[in-house]
Amino acid sequence: MTTDDVRVRDVEHKPKIELNRHSLAYRDDFEPWANRLHAEAPIAWNATHGGYWFISGNQEVFDLVRRADLLSNENDVRGDKRGYYGINIPHDEDPETRRGRFSGFLELDPPEQRHYRNALNPYLSPAAVARWQSVADEITRASLDEVIESGRIDFVDDLANIVPAVLTMAMLGLPLKDWVVYCEPAHATVYTSADSPDWPRVQQQAILMGQQLYGSVQEARRNPRPGMLDALINAEIAGGKADDEAIVGAMILLIGGGFDTTTSLTANALAWLSAHPDQREWLIRDWDTLRDSATEEFLRFYTPAQGDGRTVTQDVEMHGTRFRERDRLWLSWAMANRDERMFEDPHTIHLDRRGNRHSSFGLGIHRCIGSNVARATFKTMLKAVLDRIPDFVCDPDGAVRYESTHFINGMQHLPATFTPSARRGPGVEETIEKLQRICDEQELAAPVTVRKQRAKLAD
Amino acid sequence: MKVRVDGSICQGHTLCAMTAPDVFELSEVDGHASAVSEDVPSAREAAVREAARSCPEQAIVLS
Repeated sequence: MTTDDVRVRDVEHKPKIELNRHSLAYRDDFEPWANRLHAEAPIAWNATHGGYWFISGNQEVFDLVRRADLLSNENDVRGDKRGYYGINIPHDEDPETRRGRFSGFLELDPPEQRHYRNALNPYLSPAAVARWQSVADEITRASLDEVIESGRIDFVDDLANIVPAVLTMAMLGLPLKDWVVYCEPAHATVYTSADSPDWPRVQQQAILMGQQLYGSVQEARRNPRPGMLDALINAEIAGGKADDEAIVGAMILLIGGGFDTTTSLTANALAWLSAHPDQREWLIRDWDTLRDSATEEFLRFYTPAQGDGRTVTQDVEMHGTRFRERDRLWLSWAMANRDERMFEDPHTIHLDRRGNRHSSFGLGIHRCIGSNVARATFKTMLKAVLDRIPDFVCDPDGAVRYESTHFINGMQHLPATFTPSARRGPGVEETIEKLQRICDEQELAAPVTVRKQRAKLAD
Repeated sequence: MKVRVDGSICQGHTLCAMTAPDVFELSEVDGHASAVSEDVPSAREAAVREAARSCPEQAIVLS
């Protein structure tokens, strides 16, 4: 680049902001930032983490995300593509770490990306997910039964961490009891700030998790079982088969997507309901009418997956901005979801909000493939809590949000008290053993095209 | 009123089926939507308008 090029780029990088998404300012001043950006700079150049376009406007996000001709998800971890850096901003500097944290088909472009989606869709469609309802109900019951006679719960540790993780393992076709192996690394890699001294240790944890997943792929090749891992092993990808690294990348995506996000949504929603008991009362009373709109509204307001990075693939002018090839760009689903030009009274939760076209599952071809699992699991946990411990009171001093919400808007802890009541059945460990037998016997993890029936749990 | 879902834009968010399950059906394989019938009974017009508004991809075409 010549000095003239640098000067031109500097002129083009406007309006300029400095918003470190890994900082407490992003986490704690999110609403003022959203208001300011929507008013002044729905497309802004964020001069942090190497510099990238920060897209916060609802219309701007909508218009850009569908331009597959302009934006790439590619993470060129092997250096044989275009050298793009994928969906994380900032990307991992260390090439080994970057390769070890490759997010599977979310960091691929079509046509290969589509091959993965086609292979996995029959495991994750609404019809596929509906088959798991009694399993979700049962692990939820067991989680609550562990604590229900004590009158104390941590909604994250005791419920919201467990149910999504066990269900993800079941759908993958991995041993259910292994949920504990992946849970903490999955969370730590997203709640730790890149600027934190913990970052190197957490990156190491992520590498170890990748190695464990490699082992599970070898095991699945030796002893095949139904599930998404089986689908990945056998899928037709770009005329061949996915190699182990690609399969592990896809599993990292499914675990990262399956564990943290639903956990975060559930914890945030429960904290809010505790703080708004009249709203909770309304939701309990009118559950059948409000269930779906309330779920979508919690999704919009909390946007568990805050955004995704892209790389610009060609020079283009859009919305008065000159994008250049190789520019990095962040699609802020979270801020788009608070744009008052789309959502009336955007910073308030309206449980009966209509026309709620939020982008919490992303938009376009990379729409979260687990969205149906997320909704069903969230509703299952929420309903069980409202049914069994409706008077729960969250301890505001005990609630711990993720230190960094650069990627996931999550909570690490949410302690609460409630009026105790009687257990209804066995605890988590025994229930997981029972569910494992049922999963294996009924081959629940087969695709919906093969197995259409719902899971049957003996009473 | 006539309704159809643009299959090249639909990404399977399923909001339409939540809003008007009698009008929109979802593929068993990938959850993408299609209209059960292109003709919308007048009693369902408001619900179908709301479904169209709710689509994050704006894939529902009304005429």
